[in-house]
Amino acid sequence: MDDAATGEGSTAVARHAPSILHVDMDSFFASVEVLDDPRLAGKPVIVGGSGARGVVASCTYEARAFGVHSAMPSVRARQLCPHAVFVDGHASRYAEVSAQLHAVLLSFTPLVEPIGLDEAFLDVSGSVRLLGAPVGIARAIRTRVAAELSLDCSVGVGRSKMIAKLASRAAKPTAGPRGKRPGPGVVEAADELRFLHPMPVERLWGVGPATAKRLRDLGVRTVGDVAALPEQVLVRALGKSLGTHLAALSHGQDLDPVVPARPAKSVGHEETFAEDVFDRGALARHALRMAESVAVHLRAGGVAARTVAVKVKLSDFSQLTRAHTMEIGIDTGTAIAAIATALLDGMELPLGVRLLGVSASGLHAAGSGRQLRFELDAAPSTAREGRAFDAARRQEHWEEVMSAVDAIRRRFGTSAVGTASMVGPGGIVVPGRREAPWGPPAEGGESSGRT
Amino acid sequence: MKFRSERDSLAEVLATAGRAAGGRGTTSAVLSGLMLRAEGNRLEVTGTDLDLTVRVEHEVIGLEDGACVVPGRLTADVVRALEAGAVTVESDEEKVEISSARAHFGLRSFPAVEFPSLPLPPPPTVRFPRAALFEALRQVVRAASNDDARPLLTGVLLTTAGHGVRLVATDSYRLALRDVHGTAAFDGTDDVLVPARALAELQRLTPGQAAASANEGPGAEIGVSPGVSDMTFTCGPTRISTRLLEGTYPDYRQLIPDHYPNRLHVGRDSLVAALRRVRLLVRDNTTPVRLSMRPNGVDLSVVSQEIGDASETVEGDFTGEDLVVAFNPSYLIDGVDAVLDDEVFIETDNPARPATVRAASRDDFRYLLMPVRVS
Repeated sequence: MDDAATGEGSTAVARHAPSILHVDMDSFFASVEVLDDPRLAGKPVIVGGSGARGVVASCTYEARAFGVHSAMPSVRARQLCPHAVFVDGHASRYAEVSAQLHAVLLSFTPLVEPIGLDEAFLDVSGSVRLLGAPVGIARAIRTRVAAELSLDCSVGVGRSKMIAKLASRAAKPTAGPRGKRPGPGVVEAADELRFLHPMPVERLWGVGPATAKRLRDLGVRTVGDVAALPEQVLVRALGKSLGTHLAALSHGQDLDPVVPARPAKSVGHEETFAEDVFDRGALARHALRMAESVAVHLRAGGVAARTVAVKVKLSDFSQLTRAHTMEIGIDTGTAIAAIATALLDGMELPLGVRLLGVSASGLHAAGSGRQLRFELDAAPSTAREGRAFDAARRQEHWEEVMSAVDAIRRRFGTSAVGTASMVGPGGIVVPGRREAPWGPPAEGGESSGRT
Repeated sequence: MKFRSERDSLAEVLATAGRAAGGRGTTSAVLSGLMLRAEGNRLEVTGTDLDLTVRVEHEVIGLEDGACVVPGRLTADVVRALEAGAVTVESDEEKVEISSARAHFGLRSFPAVEFPSLPLPPPPTVRFPRAALFEALRQVVRAASNDDARPLLTGVLLTTAGHGVRLVATDSYRLALRDVHGTAAFDGTDDVLVPARALAELQRLTPGQAAASANEGPGAEIGVSPGVSDMTFTCGPTRISTRLLEGTYPDYRQLIPDHYPNRLHVGRDSLVAALRRVRLLVRDNTTPVRLSMRPNGVDLSVVSQEIGDASETVEGDFTGEDLVVAFNPSYLIDGVDAVLDDEVFIETDNPARPATVRAASRDDFRYLLMPVRVS
């Protein structure tokens, strides 16, 4: 396999021993909420949109005991568990905890492939000599995560990413009538075919409801049934690529390597609105919210961005983009929003806006080097040295941003009225900022959240 | 209009004037053109974007007086691509014909009346020795800003200083200052702020254009015609006119420290060469070079995330307290390279205060540079 030869990711040799780990946080968002607010402990807590169109992003095992699960419509969850506590969620806090998690994982091996905020694959084949058997490493990871994050995770060990992920699932706690029932925590699929074959076929990667139905029509229910079928039969039923893929997986053959996270080239956030947005003030508020989300990710990654871009899709699906690059990197929501809003102001928006996106690129390590500048036009620079650097830095930041905003306005013009008043020396002030990508909260509904 | 010229000299004249012509993005298409005016054996080629105007006079074999406006970029490309030898240019109302021995081009031209009528610059009232001015421009123009968001900083300040003129430029990260002594300066005139772009064009004039045969040699001069809102530099057959920037230049004098506790004394060429080497690892403009000053010289180091690291020692003398200070390597090279001496001083205070780069033996040039703060 080519990937193995390039030296990137894990090597083919490593596959002979079960040395792929899948680390999965247990009910991550909900557990973080309980951690931050001990009054929630032992209660059914649901993180997600509490409004009519909201969905469950995460829930505690106490809620799962009532049949609630993630991705379920919040309305249904409320029917199942009327006394559940709905929490809007705090994306920035999750990103922060996620960064701590990845720091822990990276101390075991550099081959960490993060999947979202709360999962990761690790290839520990290179760490065995130093740290012992993979199962021991898996236990050590659980201990470290519990000690440093005060949160639980489950770890699966296998020869491939899929097996490891299935194993971590088997290691999970379960929901009992009195809440969480601890699981084994670490599961090693040493005899992987014996582990894999009894599983329902839907557990194989690439098998969705449609494929599952087609397989059921062939009398296939378990992974073992798939493995028993000649490959040609699968190819005929499912097509060449899926057929050969599933045949290989059913025999435990999955050479997908663990690819360490590459430094992101850009960080973006975009949303399609439920209803087209016509009001520029509303658009600016959305831009600020998205800028905040982008900034959270930038800071979680320890990077700053020199380029801010906005993307707008109008109701006729035509798309506009504008970008501006500065001499210095920025990593705060207000700064990104100031640039994004200025770019938006310069856009002609003859129709309603269907989609808005804010992204940041030109990333570099924040604080890896800050080019200082002269204090031009400032009062004579006597006795200024005692001043805290941070204040100067922030000020400098802001000057740069405002001069960029001016440059954008000069270049693209300002067609909006009223939005400029939102930009002051303290940034853009928008009441009621929230971070709830999974749906707006219910009007006046019960929801507890920090603001 | 009809004239004949030698290919190389005509190509050069078109390229020089063409640098002032607007690109494709210009508001008015005719500004992307070049005005060609033939009178007797004299051809004048003019390019302008209304802020900057370049006029070049050129001797040709005049066959018919007249004027036309040719597409600038295309005409220059065509002439340059022709075979070496004589080129004939002939125009009628709508077209310009360019031909050499075997090739023939007919290009659509712009109506000459649409070309802006530019006031003829007054004759020079101030003269600079060309060599001294070019030397000063080479040292100073590089420090001006390219960022249109800070228009004043895209200019070079010309101000009276002692018995001469002082040139100052800063992009707010570094500042270059050069005094040109003993020149008949703008006595009694106010400070002027000349767009760095115009001065960069002046610098780019090749020796052939800068000095017509009559004006060659060490005594060659640049004539300056200061106007109210514009200024013209006459350099041999070329005249560069620029609109001046309006506004009050920041008070750069308050930035210059009167005393430095630390001074590094090193050879210019060895420092520049070492900086260029370690700079090879710099992939974005946020990676600094660290200078660790110690009694016998300086250690340079660059650590570039995901690429690697480089270090080099440059021997020299250092007086003061050992310290580490980081700079944008390109900015530092710009400064050291601009010093007109084999030995340079780098004077520092602390890692957050401006450093000065200057010659060890002369006092007419200073390059202030803000450090990069590293965590």
